[in-house]
Amino acid sequence: MQITVSVRRYNPQDKENPSYWQEYSLDVEETSSVLDSLIKIREEEDGSLALRCSCRSAICGSCAMRINGHAKLACNTKVSDVAEDGGTITVEPAGVMPVVKDLVVDQTLFWDKVRQVSPWLQPEGEEPEAEYLAPNSDMTHLAGVMACIMCGACVSDCTVLEMDPNFIGPAALAKAYRFAADPRDDEDASRLAALSEYGGVWDCTRCYECVEVCPKGVAPMDRIMALRDKAMEAGYTNNNGARHTDAFEASVSHSGRLNELTLPIKSFGILNLPAQMSMAPVAVRALMRRKIPPIIHKSVPGVKNVRRLVESVKEEQQGEGE
Amino acid sequence: MLEHDVLVVGAGLAGMRAALAAHQRGANVAIISKVHPVRSHSNAAQGGINAALTDRGDSWEDHAFDTIKGSDYLGDQDAIEYMCTEAGPELIDLEHMGVIFNRDDEGRLGTRAFGGQQRARTFFVADFTGQAILHVLYEQLMKADVRVYEEWFVLELIVEEGECCGVIALEIATGRVFVIRAKSVILCTGGLGRLFEPSTNALIVTGDGIALAYQVGAPVMDMEMVQYHPTTLKGSGVLITEGARGEGAHLLNKDGERFMQRYAPNMMELASRDVVSRSEQTEIDEGRGIDGCVLLDCRHLGEALIAERLSQILEIGMDFAGVDIRKEPIPIQPGMHYIMGGIKTDMDGRTIVPGLYAAGECANVSVHGGNRLGANSLLDTVVFGHRSGNHAADWANGKPYRDLDVDAYVDGKEKEFSDLFSSNTDERWSQIRLDLGRAMDRHMGVYRDEEGMQSLLAMLPGFRERFAKTSLQDKGRVFNTDLIFTLELGFMLDCAESIILGGIERKESRGAHSRTDYPDRDDENWLKHVLVTRTDDGPEVSHLPVTITKWQPEERKY
Amino acid sequence: MKYAFFPGCVSRGGCPELYPATIKVCERLGLELDGLDKRGATCTGAGVLQEKNLFLGDVFNARTFAMAEQLDLPLMTICSTCQGVMSQANKRLKDDADYLARVNAHLALEGLEYKGTAQPRHLLWTLIEDVGVEELKNFVIRPLTNLRVAPFYGCYIVRPTDALEFKLYPEREDSLERVMEALGAEVVDFPGKTRCCGFPILTINERNSVKMVARHTSDAKDLGADALVTPCPLCHLNLDGYQPKAMQQAQRDIDIPIIHLPQLLGLAMGFDAKEMGLSRHIISAKRVLSKIKVPA
Repeated sequence: MQITVSVRRYNPQDKENPSYWQEYSLDVEETSSVLDSLIKIREEEDGSLALRCSCRSAICGSCAMRINGHAKLACNTKVSDVAEDGGTITVEPAGVMPVVKDLVVDQTLFWDKVRQVSPWLQPEGEEPEAEYLAPNSDMTHLAGVMACIMCGACVSDCTVLEMDPNFIGPAALAKAYRFAADPRDDEDASRLAALSEYGGVWDCTRCYECVEVCPKGVAPMDRIMALRDKAMEAGYTNNNGARHTDAFEASVSHSGRLNELTLPIKSFGILNLPAQMSMAPVAVRALMRRKIPPIIHKSVPGVKNVRRLVESVKEEQQGEGE
Repeated sequence: MLEHDVLVVGAGLAGMRAALAAHQRGANVAIISKVHPVRSHSNAAQGGINAALTDRGDSWEDHAFDTIKGSDYLGDQDAIEYMCTEAGPELIDLEHMGVIFNRDDEGRLGTRAFGGQQRARTFFVADFTGQAILHVLYEQLMKADVRVYEEWFVLELIVEEGECCGVIALEIATGRVFVIRAKSVILCTGGLGRLFEPSTNALIVTGDGIALAYQVGAPVMDMEMVQYHPTTLKGSGVLITEGARGEGAHLLNKDGERFMQRYAPNMMELASRDVVSRSEQTEIDEGRGIDGCVLLDCRHLGEALIAERLSQILEIGMDFAGVDIRKEPIPIQPGMHYIMGGIKTDMDGRTIVPGLYAAGECANVSVHGGNRLGANSLLDTVVFGHRSGNHAADWANGKPYRDLDVDAYVDGKEKEFSDLFSSNTDERWSQIRLDLGRAMDRHMGVYRDEEGMQSLLAMLPGFRERFAKTSLQDKGRVFNTDLIFTLELGFMLDCAESIILGGIERKESRGAHSRTDYPDRDDENWLKHVLVTRTDDGPEVSHLPVTITKWQPEERKY
Repeated sequence: MKYAFFPGCVSRGGCPELYPATIKVCERLGLELDGLDKRGATCTGAGVLQEKNLFLGDVFNARTFAMAEQLDLPLMTICSTCQGVMSQANKRLKDDADYLARVNAHLALEGLEYKGTAQPRHLLWTLIEDVGVEELKNFVIRPLTNLRVAPFYGCYIVRPTDALEFKLYPEREDSLERVMEALGAEVVDFPGKTRCCGFPILTINERNSVKMVARHTSDAKDLGADALVTPCPLCHLNLDGYQPKAMQQAQRDIDIPIIHLPQLLGLAMGFDAKEMGLSRHIISAKRVLSKIKVPA
């Protein structure tokens, strides 16, 4: 099929015109990947095009880049899935990280964040002579996280990192989960404490970008949610995120609905006066426009059924916990 | 001045294991690698790592015998004994570091069956064992805070007064040339797969370390032993793990026949790789293939097993062949996969150049001989990576750094670069590499003969001439991949020379070296290693005896 | 067409203008609504409950699905977040028969059972898939010519595409643009249209949340949009309610109205500003109204 590949070029050595779009027209097989096309350009047409790639089979994690606006591995993205015959594919470097040249980005930030979660197994006590005993179900579960190839696609498209480089980010948090969920690791408490701070698990907006772009099905956001749960279970609840979740669950379990008036108040903590005050102007503006929830929080009809349901679910869950 | 007691070149499993060992021995160690460590090709090892665990009723002798038989008796038995006895402790070490190996019902490490072995002794993480171990070793490297020169490309080894004392290297991001001084250097650069087209190997696998050592006069050994993997995808050469057959997948010809029953009635699909690849090639050559391929059938394994243990293959089938392995057989063919040969080392990883070590695929301590068993390569990397790390650290211990004329080395390289950058011809690395790779696949593939290999040898000067005239299209210094590929091509040409010479020299069929003009194994004349050494008068071929401890050569049947 | 209608908490809570606007627009379109809220359907959990108690969330949503099944009506929502949470729950329930049975054991307390047939769909998708874009044009009596609008989807109606069945319904990917064009408006494409509005972290990291508001509203503004249109009341809460704070934080003028999808439909169908509750926004919608010559 005939395609045009429109590449966001960047050459820091060209002081006058470092950044520009360049179009390449080429003929490729239906089964070709975007990487095949870029390699074809590099080998046959333009040797100055810089990109990282190696394994061609989605295992080395070198070739994450933005294809038609979203982070993907070029090697497992089929041309026919992102363009029609005669169509155009746009290729840009990954986001969030600074560009070195063309499609090559500087991953220092990425690895700094990975390092931040102390990403190595920390067992306590003496090593056994043979292997640690561990259930296979735990190991296969962890395989879902270890499948991460550190390509950086999730970091590229993370909505929070784009705003705040302090966020530990999806890849590193998934890596942290890999240890928090490893039965051999004994540092859960310190890990979860650190992850409950600013920049940690509660800063995620749950936007699903990382889940959508991850080429290996790691679902980083799901791991972040699991870390939130673990952190709350471990007692790290003195933060807005945990209070928010607690208040939400309580409200929905009690009335079947969300109580929008008291939720933010409970999230900040009743005694957090500065935060409560900072909400005041927003509340006043809303009041003037009558854009506020009803002052009296009404339960859903037949709320007794809901409460009975909650009780029944919790009974089952407590049974499991024992 | 950049300097380290021990400098490890390459950051795959062998390189990182060596660096960790040297670090634990107290050496100031660094790794230099042309890619970030987790991009290394060890990632691609899917199936697992072999070890005979005695508490499971297995014995290292059985593992050694399978390995020796698999090697077609060309492996050195002392090295194989060491590897097989160390396998257990190394495996447990990896588990303690954090590798999430699959478990049995009691929570102990679980195994799967692999080719060429009489019992299941392959330990695994789904079907991405190499990646799972590689990432854990990198975790350990971060823990130890070992310095990594990431995306630095080694141009040349520095040897003065016969001793290796550092490297000249290019920082890819800036294009600047540096000298790194070291008391010992360990080459762990992996194989040379891209010298063949197609190959299962990643694009970075270009024989750099083998050529670097060859260029300073270290002999390479048994380079003719090139493994063709039985199950690779047509065209792209992407690998389908042996684990698929280990889990019970069948090989079928176009008539739907399980043809392995005619070639290896006992082991069937799990005969050793050279045997299975030859059988497939014979089926294809005799007209029982489909479009140059035979079929790998996983359908009867069931969706659940495929999902848990062959998930990556499921993905690869969908992405790269458009085939759902749960629903239809996938067309496969033998494809270049691994080099058994490499830089000749002793069991401590030493080459004949003092201070220069090698481990992993680029080395040949000779545990694989004429044919490597599946899941023995990961084992080789960690066992001999570990040992060479220890010995390189000991060698460096207490030794002073050598005074080097850094500017002279850097200026020399800059002069070469300025010639290359100012060249303006139509000759580019990409076309030469493709022509070379296709010629190698044609004449050094599953079957070989004198005429083919001689014609290949005759082509080499032509390739070298074209290489000398190569021009770059990227004239800048920042992240210039055009330059890197050109430099790699130079390394590949040196590797090609030794492979062809080794092939012509060995006048028999053994392991992966299968000659139609000498179809039988000839223990009387060729139970020996073939070495190629570069000298001022050109390459020299010589021989060394094979070390036999307690297993005398026998006829090989599966 | 008749629907089991799931309005969600916010359409009658923080965005009280949304519910009545929806009722009016649906009536005009001939979409009859049987409100599940009146039958005691609960909140979906909004993804928040799920991080603490996924199973309880799934039980709640299965209960809603079972109610729709009992009415034998297709399920419709008007909130991107509800849509996403329900779709994900539905996928888990449909993919695993044992799991569904475990959930149903609890629903049996009320005599309910979820059989796995519900297909929750946002009004936005209903417009495309049931009403049809061409038919929708027939309802337009006041084409929104000259009005430049930027789409803002809300995360949960665009991701994860698997649970939202984008492969089966590829037109879902640009459904909002299709509807806006059918109403005669000019679409302003902008990079933030599928990004997060910041609402979920408002009480956790307000600075980041407000920064997201500032980024997306000012991007749309700078590209020449007169308004942002959203099918998600949660996005509305943040993009509208926190825009004054965003202007303060970013130290620039933005002031771009945020319009609920049903309000945009209503304006094109000839309803007046008051009927659509447009006076109840924090950021005045006057500029939009004057552009299409509707009295404020």
